[in-house]
Amino acid sequence: MPIREQGRRMRLRRTGTILPEARIRHYDELGDDAQATVAELAGRPRTAAEASDLEDGDVVKFTDYYVVRAR
Amino acid sequence: MTTDFTPESERLIMSDSYVIIGDGIAGASAAETLRQEAPDADITVITDEGESLYNRILIKEYAKGKLPEAPISIHDESWYDDHDVDLRLDTVVVDVDVESDEIRTHEGETIGYDKLLLGIGGTPQQLPVENADAKGIHHFWTFQDARKIKESVEDADRGAIVGAGLLGIDFAAICGAQDVEAKYLMRGDSWWRYALSNEGAEIMHEAMRERGVEPVFDSGVDRFEVDDDGHVEAAVDPNGERYECDFAGVAIGLDLNTELVEGTPIEVDDGIVVDEYMRTNVDNVFAAGDITRFYDVLLGEQAQNGAWGSAKEQGTIAARNMIDYESERFEWVSSYSITHFDFPFLSFGHPTLGDDSVEATTAEGEWRRVALKDGKVVGGVLIGDLSPQSAFKKLMREGRDVRGQTDLLMEPGFSVDDLAAPTEQ
Repeated sequence: MPIREQGRRMRLRRTGTILPEARIRHYDELGDDAQATVAELAGRPRTAAEASDLEDGDVVKFTDYYVVRAR
Repeated sequence: MTTDFTPESERLIMSDSYVIIGDGIAGASAAETLRQEAPDADITVITDEGESLYNRILIKEYAKGKLPEAPISIHDESWYDDHDVDLRLDTVVVDVDVESDEIRTHEGETIGYDKLLLGIGGTPQQLPVENADAKGIHHFWTFQDARKIKESVEDADRGAIVGAGLLGIDFAAICGAQDVEAKYLMRGDSWWRYALSNEGAEIMHEAMRERGVEPVFDSGVDRFEVDDDGHVEAAVDPNGERYECDFAGVAIGLDLNTELVEGTPIEVDDGIVVDEYMRTNVDNVFAAGDITRFYDVLLGEQAQNGAWGSAKEQGTIAARNMIDYESERFEWVSSYSITHFDFPFLSFGHPTLGDDSVEATTAEGEWRRVALKDGKVVGGVLIGDLSPQSAFKKLMREGRDVRGQTDLLMEPGFSVDDLAAPTEQ
């Protein structure tokens, strides 16, 4: 597992394109902290501390499909 | 004669054999945990399905036409080779012999075990009505079911859905996403009436209507009618109302696959009974996932849960206790979301249990209900605003008595800190 850069922020961007090689995470697969972060960020132009069980590039199925961007 | 045991040969002799029946998330997480924590163990995973572990909570998205197949797979077959796990696909276990610690497959093979895990899940119930097995009538459990549903619904114009619960609403969403006008035939006066009041359910009803799925209350299915080819053409409800359809989805519950252990000493009571360590009443037989009736340490009684996260955790906990019994308890607050609509829905814990409840509409389109037992939170439902879920789960884990303060649970922005500090017992 790659070492994760500390202190990164993440945001969610709605996407309509799901590539076959994408890692899709359903909301129910996430831990409590990641669920809270996704519920807070989905559909909003906000950032939050990167959730431990989400990676940059993951696609999360919540009320829509969202790509995780972590910087 | 003396025998020179090398460490390698000793390890081979001493390695335990673990057999897991079922390659759903419970069985697969157990296999992963066993391999991590018992590197030398022999591990066999047996499944009657023709494919290895896939993401069961995403197959509805495939049926909706929103996802391709590829991302739904979790373990391809190489994963089992890479982790030295013997995977048996398309293999039906027909007998469990706990006296001789062996199982037998439909092909007559006998496989011995030191420890056995039953992750054998359930099978969708069929409606006990005329023509319930007609073409075009579907149940939804496996990826193969999802493929057939997708193929069928794409050619359909009108649908009928039966089963006013968490699985039935997936059919409603599939019809909505595939532009199939559907009637959702419910026996009562609202969707999931055991966990929601009419006020909360109406938010869900309206979301269904927006997608072309019309809830029909005090209805259900008395029989299906078929055309000359045996394909469904209508559902007729107990009131005699006829609803034309060329696609039907039935989700009225699961029959747990307990018949495999009938005739064994393994205790069954609407599921395989296990303790908080996932062990059955037979010392070297464990169970995990949908099939279990487990001792819920937070609830203080036996309980059942079919959520993905719960099954995954049960598999992990079962594996640890198969290696070292009583090493870790299953202590988990489950949750299950519905993400088909433009607002979220989440049930947590045991929302249909308890001796009391509080509920409120907190904003337009936002509703919540919390179920209580002996003054403690045991579950609930959140619609629209999921922000209090962490707080409610924390209250469940802590077993906090909230008597006299339940109004606070309904406040927007509720936090555990809003409650008076717990008093020392």
